[in-house]
Amino acid sequence: MSIKKLTKKYTSEELADAFIFRSTLSPEEEVIAAEQLKLARLKSRENLTDNQRLYANVLQLRFMIEDYLKSNQFNQELSFGNILRKYIALNYKINKKFASDIQLDETELSQLLNNKRMPSEKTIVRLEIHSNNLIPAVSWYKLVEKQHEHLLSTDQQLRDQQAVFVKNKLSLL
Amino acid sequence: MNVLHISSGKVLTVQIESITEEDYKQIKRSVYYFDWKREKEHNVFKLSLLDDSHIIGLISLKNIDSEERIEIRLLAVSKENRGRSKIFEGITGNLIAFACRDAINRYGSNGCVSLYPKTALRQHYIDKYGFIDSGYHLYIEAMPMFQMIKKFEL
Repeated sequence: MSIKKLTKKYTSEELADAFIFRSTLSPEEEVIAAEQLKLARLKSRENLTDNQRLYANVLQLRFMIEDYLKSNQFNQELSFGNILRKYIALNYKINKKFASDIQLDETELSQLLNNKRMPSEKTIVRLEIHSNNLIPAVSWYKLVEKQHEHLLSTDQQLRDQQAVFVKNKLSLL
Repeated sequence: MNVLHISSGKVLTVQIESITEEDYKQIKRSVYYFDWKREKEHNVFKLSLLDDSHIIGLISLKNIDSEERIEIRLLAVSKENRGRSKIFEGITGNLIAFACRDAINRYGSNGCVSLYPKTALRQHYIDKYGFIDSGYHLYIEAMPMFQMIKKFEL
């Protein structure tokens, strides 16, 4: 069905609700279009507040966490500690101030950032509240869980240590 | 992400996934209007009800990294979802909101989504989704983009 036939069958509102059509601009028009867009966006960005910028950056972090949680791979770069470090850097120059804002001991925060300890549920919920619910507690929790899973499946030393406590292992093929 | 089943009033969960080579075999022009094989070099995504293989919407996106922008090249809902007798409400909104999510995900606060509208449809995209007119392009960024993401629960 041609576009002409479509416009006979559907109203323009119905068409906009069903389609975005391919560009039919010439290469020259595309150059003009790109320039127009660049100028318009420059103006828009001038009006972007610090708050809006922060909102976008926290959203970006949330999407990064969500996409990582969907994947089957473990990535140390996206461990709880490293994501928390990114989160803090979005709005704080020093970690001490952040620790104070969520009433967390500075040493504990340092251990969390360096993946030397895992956060309590209370800390995770405080993180959710601090992000104004933009990053849910469940996302933080799943990050920790993913890290636990990885440790559990790769810790050979723990296996060697615990093997001495096991007798009558199942004799299987 | 949800769509409204118009006749029953039920809200149903949808999913958006990358299209596979297998999907292209089932995507017919008679249902999805365009020749979608022409979009293979871009990022094409399909929208379907959760745990249902029937595609009810398609979108083709082009990432323009140098401008921190994603261009919607093409979008179509399935034939049974066009016009007055459509089955679901919200397919196009979900697909545009998905492009907004992708723009934020890639480019943070500088992220932008744009499209080239047909002249007759221009005002509808502006009114319904919060696009801004820049001349040939319509674009969405910052607050209207955040609102789309929030509205469609991405």
